[in-house]
Amino acid sequence: MNTKRRDLLKWASLIASCSSAYAASVDSSLSIDSGRLIIVLLRGAYDGLSAFFPYSDPNYKIFRPTISIGTQPEADQSVFYKLDDDFALHPSLSALIPFWEEKRFAFIPTTGLSKPYRSHFEAQHYLETGQDGNNSMSNGWLNNLASINKGSGLIGVGEANPEILRGLIPPKLVPRGNAALQTGVLGNLHHRAVLENLYAKDSALNDLFINGENSRLNTAMMLNQAQMSSSQESMQANKDASAPSALLQDSRHLVALMQQNANLKLGFLSAGGWDTHAGQGNERGALSNNFLNLSKALSYLQDNINKPNDVIVVLSEFGRTVHENASRGTDHGFGNAMMVMGSQVNGGKRLGRWEGLALERLNESRDLPVFHDYRMVLSQIFERVFNFNAQQIAKVFPGSQISIAAGAQDLHIFKG
Amino acid sequence: MVRKSFLLLLSLLIFFTRLSHADDSKEWRLYSRFGYGPAQIEKHLIPNVKSEATNRLRDALIASGQEAFIPESINIVKTSLPDAFERWREQRKLQQSLQSTPTKEFTKEMSRAAMALRLFQCSHDQVENPLLAKMTEFWFNHLNVYTYKGSVQPFIGDYIINVIRPNVLGNFEDLLIASFKHPAMLYYLDQWLNAYVENPTQTNRFNVQVKGINENYAREVLELHTMGVNSGYTQGDVQSLARILTGWTISAKNESGSQFVNRLHDKSDQTLLGRTFSNQGEEEAISALKFLANQPQTARRISLRLAQWFVSDHPSKQLVDAMANTYMQTHGNIYQVMTTMIESDDAWDESNQLIKTPFDYVCSVLTAAGGAKDLKDYTNALNFLSNSGQPMNAWQTPDGYSTMADQWMSAEALSRRADFAFSIGSRVEEPEKVLNWISKNSRTIIANEKPNLQASFAFSSPDFMRK
Repeated sequence: MNTKRRDLLKWASLIASCSSAYAASVDSSLSIDSGRLIIVLLRGAYDGLSAFFPYSDPNYKIFRPTISIGTQPEADQSVFYKLDDDFALHPSLSALIPFWEEKRFAFIPTTGLSKPYRSHFEAQHYLETGQDGNNSMSNGWLNNLASINKGSGLIGVGEANPEILRGLIPPKLVPRGNAALQTGVLGNLHHRAVLENLYAKDSALNDLFINGENSRLNTAMMLNQAQMSSSQESMQANKDASAPSALLQDSRHLVALMQQNANLKLGFLSAGGWDTHAGQGNERGALSNNFLNLSKALSYLQDNINKPNDVIVVLSEFGRTVHENASRGTDHGFGNAMMVMGSQVNGGKRLGRWEGLALERLNESRDLPVFHDYRMVLSQIFERVFNFNAQQIAKVFPGSQISIAAGAQDLHIFKG
Repeated sequence: MVRKSFLLLLSLLIFFTRLSHADDSKEWRLYSRFGYGPAQIEKHLIPNVKSEATNRLRDALIASGQEAFIPESINIVKTSLPDAFERWREQRKLQQSLQSTPTKEFTKEMSRAAMALRLFQCSHDQVENPLLAKMTEFWFNHLNVYTYKGSVQPFIGDYIINVIRPNVLGNFEDLLIASFKHPAMLYYLDQWLNAYVENPTQTNRFNVQVKGINENYAREVLELHTMGVNSGYTQGDVQSLARILTGWTISAKNESGSQFVNRLHDKSDQTLLGRTFSNQGEEEAISALKFLANQPQTARRISLRLAQWFVSDHPSKQLVDAMANTYMQTHGNIYQVMTTMIESDDAWDESNQLIKTPFDYVCSVLTAAGGAKDLKDYTNALNFLSNSGQPMNAWQTPDGYSTMADQWMSAEALSRRADFAFSIGSRVEEPEKVLNWISKNSRTIIANEKPNLQASFAFSSPDFMRK
C-alpha cells in the first residue's frame, strides 16, 4: 500500500509539472472488491470545532465565551469523551464513540478548499465540481468518479438534482423523506397504462418516462418492503421531515437501495441547517440537536455499509470562525473537520496536522487553516476504495492537479 | 413575399399534419412561452403570431407601469420598507426576550406572502398580464435573491413588486440600479457590509479585524448580472468595483430602504475596465453600474439568457447577435430586444423546442385549472416546486436556475408532474377546453377516459410538458 501511495504522490507531482502527462486514458474494469463510497454533505458549513472540540486549548474558551463545549461553570467534565490529548467529542455525537473505540472512525480537523470563499453557494459549487475558482458549468466529481470506475452506479437520496451528481452517468435520484415511498399516479394500474400510452409515441420523452416509472416503482417497492420490517424508531424519524432530522430516513432509504442493487457503489446524502450564525448553543441548542440527528444517521450507515472497502465521508463547504460572534453564533470560516468511517479506516485517531488555536496559527486571525485540500483526502480514499491510479484520480478532479499535488501529504487514512 | 407565403403554407401544413406529434402549434407556443399557457378557453387559430406576440409585449409594458393587483390575504407584502424594518426589529427584540421559543412570525409571513404572490400572478392571467409575470420571473431569476437568507425575508415581496415588476421591459441599467439599492439585494450579496474603513488594522474585542471591503456583490454583478464569467474583467476590476460601491448600504428609515453614507465611501481613484472613476460620492456607484450595464458582453449575456428563456436551450448565434445588436443600439432597452426576438423566425421555428421547468409547469397547470385559489393549492404547488428542486424564491445561488431541459428532466420528473396534475385536474369542469389544445393523438387516448380524469391526463401528457 505504502509503495503504491508513494507512486501516487510521484504521479501527482509529475502531473503538476506536466499536465499533459495523463492524456493517455486508462480505463479500469470494476474490480470485485471495489468498495462503496457514501458522501454526506452538511450544507451550510457545520461547526467542526464543536463536533471535535479542542478542550485542552486555552484559547478555545477565550474565543468562545458562551458557546464552547464543557467550559460553562455548570458543565460536568466527566461526561465529555476525550478523543485524545487535544480533542473531545460533542456529547450529542456520543453514538459514534463505539466506532471510535473499534478504530473505524477518524477525523481530519483542518481540511477544505484551496482558499476561503466565504460564500456558501460559491464554495458548494467548487466543492461539488472539485474545481476551485471555476464558475462555469462542470460535472459533479461524484459523477466523474462513476464514469471512471466503470459499472459503479450513482444514487442520491434527498435532493432533486444535486450538482455533485450531475454529468455523463445518469444517477438514481430518490426524493427526500416519505415521497420516496409513494408511487402516486403510477400506483393505479389503469392510470399507469394510459400514461404509458400517452408517452408511447413521443420519441423524445418516452424513454425518460419509462425509465422514471421503473425507477420510481422499484424504489417504492424496495423501500416499502424494508419499511415493513423496520422498527417504530423509523416511524418517529418519518414524522419530522425537516432537515437534518430527515437524514436518518434518507440514510435508511439509501442503504435499502444500495443493498438491493450491488451496482450502486456511490451514494450521496445531504442535510441542511448548519449555518449557525446566531444562538448556536453549546452542549444543548440548535447545533447540538443537529449533531444528535447526524450521529443517528451515521451510526445507521456504518452499521449497514461496512464491507472491507466501504467508506463513509462527512464534509462541509467550509468551517466556521474560531471566534464566537456577537449573536452567540459563528460566521463563515475556512478549515473544517472531515469525518471518515469504514472498517479499514485508520480510526480511533485524529489524522493530519493540527496546530492549535493560537491567533498566529489561524487563517486571517479568524479561521482554522486548511492544511489538507479535501480533494487530496478524497484522492487517498479513491486509491483504496476503487484502486485508482493517479491518472484516474486526475480525471475525477479535472484541472485541479496542482492543488492536489501541493497538498499531497500521506494522511494514513487506512490501516496498514 | 414568396418566402412569407411559403412560411404560411408550411405552417398551415404543419398545423394540419401534427397527428402523431406532440402539439407544437404556434398558438400553444405563444401562450406557453409568452405567458404560462392558455386558461380555459377554446383553441383559436392565430393567423399572425408575431404580431400577436408584439401586442402581448405592448400590453405587458403597459401593465408593468400599473400597480399590481394583490389579493387581500397577502396584503402584508405591501408593507413599506421602513415598516418592514421596524417590525423585523420588534420581532428580534421579542426573540431575545423569549429565549426558549423564538418567534419569527413577521418574517415568515412576509416570505410566504411573497411566494403566494408569485404563484397568484403566474396563474391568474385575467388579473396579471401573463407575459409580465413571465418577464418578472426572468428578471427575478437573473437578479436572484434567496428568501431563506433571514435578512432577505422581510423585503422579498417589495423587491418583486417595486424593483423587478416595474422595470422588466425598460432599460436594463434602471433595473440593475434598482436591484442594487434594495435591501433584499443589499443583504443577499452583502453589499450592506461593503465599507471603506479608515484603519484596517483596527480590531474588535476578540482581536478580529473589523470588516471593510466586501467583494461579494461586486463579483456577482460582473460575473452574473452584467458581463458574465470569463468575459474579460479581472480580479482587479472586482476589487475596484467593490471600492466604487462602498458607502451604499441599508437604511431602516428611508422609504427606499437604502442610503449612501459618505463616511464609508472609498474616495480614492479606481480603475474599472480601463476607465478611471474618481470620487463622485453616491453617483460613483450609479455611473459604474450604468457603465457595466451597457458593455457589449452584457448585451450578449442578457440576449443569450432571454433567447434561452423564450426560444431554445441552444439559440442560434444569429438570433443572439441580432438581439445583442438591438441592445447596444437602444441603450439596453429590453422591450426593443424582445421585439427583435419576436420578429425573428427562430422564435417560431418548430425545431426550437422548449421543455417546461417545474415553475412553468405548475403555473401552466394552475392557469388551465382556473388559477391558484386556496391554501391547498398554494401548499400543494409550493411543495411540488421544492421537491422538484426549484423552490419558490429560494434558489440559493446568485446565478439563478437554469431553464435547460437537462436540468429538470431527471428520471422521475414526468411521473411526479403527473401526481401534481392529478391533485388538481379533477376540478376542471370543462376538460374539453384543455383537451382542444393538445395533440390529436393525446386527445384520442384521453377521450376514452372518465370526464373527471380527462384534464388530469391532459396535464400529464407529453404535450403539456412542452412550451
